[in-house]
Amino acid sequence: MPIRHLALNVEPLRPATSTERQTLFRALINSAIGVGAFLLTCIGLHAVLPFPQIDGVSQKLRFFAAHKDEFDTLFIGSSRIYFQISPAIFDGVIRESGSPMRSFNFGIGGMHFPESAYVLEQVLNTKPRNLRWVFIELGELQTKWPHEAAGSRRALYWHDWRRTSLILRKVLGSGTHMVWLPNLKKVRDIILPRKSGLETRDLFIFHMAELEKNFANVATGSDILDYFSRRDINKDSAKYLGAAGDGYVPMTNKGMSASQAAAYEHALALVMAQNGWRSISPYTMEACRQCAQKIRGIGAVPIFLITPSTTRFNVTHLDNARPPGVVMAFNDPRVYPNLYRSSVRLDEDHLTKEGAEEFTRIMAANFMHLVQAGEIK
Amino acid sequence: MSFVEFRFLWFFLIVFGVYWSMRENAARKIWLLFCSYIFYAAWNWKFTFLLLGSTTVDYIVGRMLARHKEHAWRRTWIIVSVCANLGVLGLFKYYNFFVSSASGFLAWLGLPASVSTLNIILPVGISFYTFHSMSYTIDVYRGRQRAISNFADLALFISFFPPLVAGPIVRAITFLPQLVSARKFADVDVRGAVLLFLSGFIKKACIADGVAPIADRYFAHPANFTPRSAWIGVLFYAIQIYCDFSGYTDMAIASARLLGYQLPNNFRFPYFAQNVSDFWRRWHISLSSWLRDYLYIPIGGNRGPRWFVYRNIMITMLLGGLWHGAAWTFVIWGALHGIALLVHREWTRLTDGLEWATRAMRWLAWPITVYAVCVAWIFFRAHDLSRAGTILKQFVLFRGGGSEHLHRWMLFVIVALAFVHWLNSRRWFAEPWRNWPAPVFAAAYGCTAALVLLFVPPSYTPFIYFQF
Repeated sequence: MPIRHLALNVEPLRPATSTERQTLFRALINSAIGVGAFLLTCIGLHAVLPFPQIDGVSQKLRFFAAHKDEFDTLFIGSSRIYFQISPAIFDGVIRESGSPMRSFNFGIGGMHFPESAYVLEQVLNTKPRNLRWVFIELGELQTKWPHEAAGSRRALYWHDWRRTSLILRKVLGSGTHMVWLPNLKKVRDIILPRKSGLETRDLFIFHMAELEKNFANVATGSDILDYFSRRDINKDSAKYLGAAGDGYVPMTNKGMSASQAAAYEHALALVMAQNGWRSISPYTMEACRQCAQKIRGIGAVPIFLITPSTTRFNVTHLDNARPPGVVMAFNDPRVYPNLYRSSVRLDEDHLTKEGAEEFTRIMAANFMHLVQAGEIK
Repeated sequence: MSFVEFRFLWFFLIVFGVYWSMRENAARKIWLLFCSYIFYAAWNWKFTFLLLGSTTVDYIVGRMLARHKEHAWRRTWIIVSVCANLGVLGLFKYYNFFVSSASGFLAWLGLPASVSTLNIILPVGISFYTFHSMSYTIDVYRGRQRAISNFADLALFISFFPPLVAGPIVRAITFLPQLVSARKFADVDVRGAVLLFLSGFIKKACIADGVAPIADRYFAHPANFTPRSAWIGVLFYAIQIYCDFSGYTDMAIASARLLGYQLPNNFRFPYFAQNVSDFWRRWHISLSSWLRDYLYIPIGGNRGPRWFVYRNIMITMLLGGLWHGAAWTFVIWGALHGIALLVHREWTRLTDGLEWATRAMRWLAWPITVYAVCVAWIFFRAHDLSRAGTILKQFVLFRGGGSEHLHRWMLFVIVALAFVHWLNSRRWFAEPWRNWPAPVFAAAYGCTAALVLLFVPPSYTPFIYFQF
């Protein structure tokens, strides 16, 4: 076929008139003004608006801010901190050794890295003058959220760039170096997801959306309404601060049923039979490094705490870099058999009230030992 | 991808920027077609093949209708198109409904039959794009529209992303002529379009999603609530569905306008209607006019004896109800509207020229209409017929229910929203913006958008009409 028959039938290019160019130029300028006004308003509102009303977190943060100079020790983490470390017992053990101490439990159910790192930053922003030791629960950086909580304010408020970028790096498998080099397989999973790659895509979209919503102060209007309607935002404080007002709320003493105990013993035996330990990802290490830097910035000492759990990793077996601070690990059933008796456990991750008190005593004694040995200054 | 998600903003900015930077109309149309398929693929890419298949069938039918002048051939081809479109709709949307209803009916007759339903995912927007597509072949058949030779133009008409998944239902005769010449940016009413988008966003994200949890709470367990709460729950749902659907439509029309295309208006303050007939001239206008032109008039319309006309109205409204969803609650919703239309016609006929009736209706027409529409909404929203019965008892007879109640202040929310709606109908909000200089408008718009986002719930609720 002659080549000229293959020529495409295209319209001749219509030259843009000067009026059109002017209209487009004006539209661009006005769009820039609109976008600028939007961004500035978002930033301004973010600076002016109070910390969002998040159940548990807000009450504890407000209480801590009001009493910030009274505490020298802080525990921060998930329910494994919240329900398992009694500041009263901890302070008592330390006092017996002659050192006065007052600690506060800032544990919140389901608060893992990077949310805990964000909350820690807010706590440190209150500039507590006497804070000397900060215990942070060490656990893997979480990228997934329970489905029912995914659309909540709890999932939203901590999505600043520092936290979200770390999560996105983990989702994209791009490492923690300055330059982002995403794993190409992960990028493909986002653009053209297959069944196995749907999670990567969903997580990427979810965290990006949360970052944008947080930047744009989405859903913070209810806080403004609360302020003007003078709603008592502290009415639930006692629920989260506990009877002693130190942030600790004990679990029940009613342990597992016989069948649950048998299942637990079986799972524990399996864990003890395994020699391999889960390693910490470089993203978690980066989160730890950021936390440690902030803590040291106010003159306190970071201590990473691994609570008695059968599903956690053990840093003593790590071949990659260690967290930037002292690590106190209680997740080896061979070393702490008393904390793994089924009679003191609610499940594989949590202790009963009796178990929590025993754990606090052991932890306080270990801590004193480390202080006296000069490992913690 | 939904209009209220941030990712739509990024998507639209790319579409908009590239679209207006192109100078050739053909290139722009190909770009829009590509983006429309990407938009649809964001839900489930596999269904883009269904969209493409539907387009191909109607393209071929259109060409065949243009080629054949004989009535018998033309009739055959239009039957092919209607059967193909309704067949796809029937398979994906109604197969399980008809099978389980037939099984239930046989069991009731004492003839239990073992039938199996299919695990079918409903393709989003199928009811809308099927109607877009059918309007093309029917209009070509009727000689109102020329069969087009450019496949991409037809594909763009059917898949054009703003109205693709929840309307308004666009007809070929209104959209295809717009594809002939290149749109000019200077002709675009940017200010009007972005205001319309913001208005739609506020309706959906702030109002509809804000009242949804209360309506959901009531409709989930109506038997637990008091009759007063039934009123709050039903009125909140009436607000939710209007703001949800008209919010989507506003954003769809605005997005299309920003690309230089005009879509038909879908709502004209329906809750201010003075009778049910008026309501249907204001609510989902593109569907009611589609059903009027492609169903009601072809089956006889207003021609013939009165009972024949009433039969036509009932058929149209029943099928209109079934179009919304494959459930008996939707069929009853359609039937109630059909009955209301008949009652209104009879009333108008019987009271024609009676002064007292005109005077009485001046005061009573509006509350009666809103009440009738709300009663019908009960069936539209209820999970099943048994719960619809419970709600109806509470809402109409003030009987039944439990002790749980929705707070009284919610009635004030309804009054406040009604007042805002009335102000909006007087263009009280939109008009002042028109007079400001462009830079002031842009800055005010940016600030307003940032303030509006404060009142958006943290989680996104899908548009109600996505399920249809």
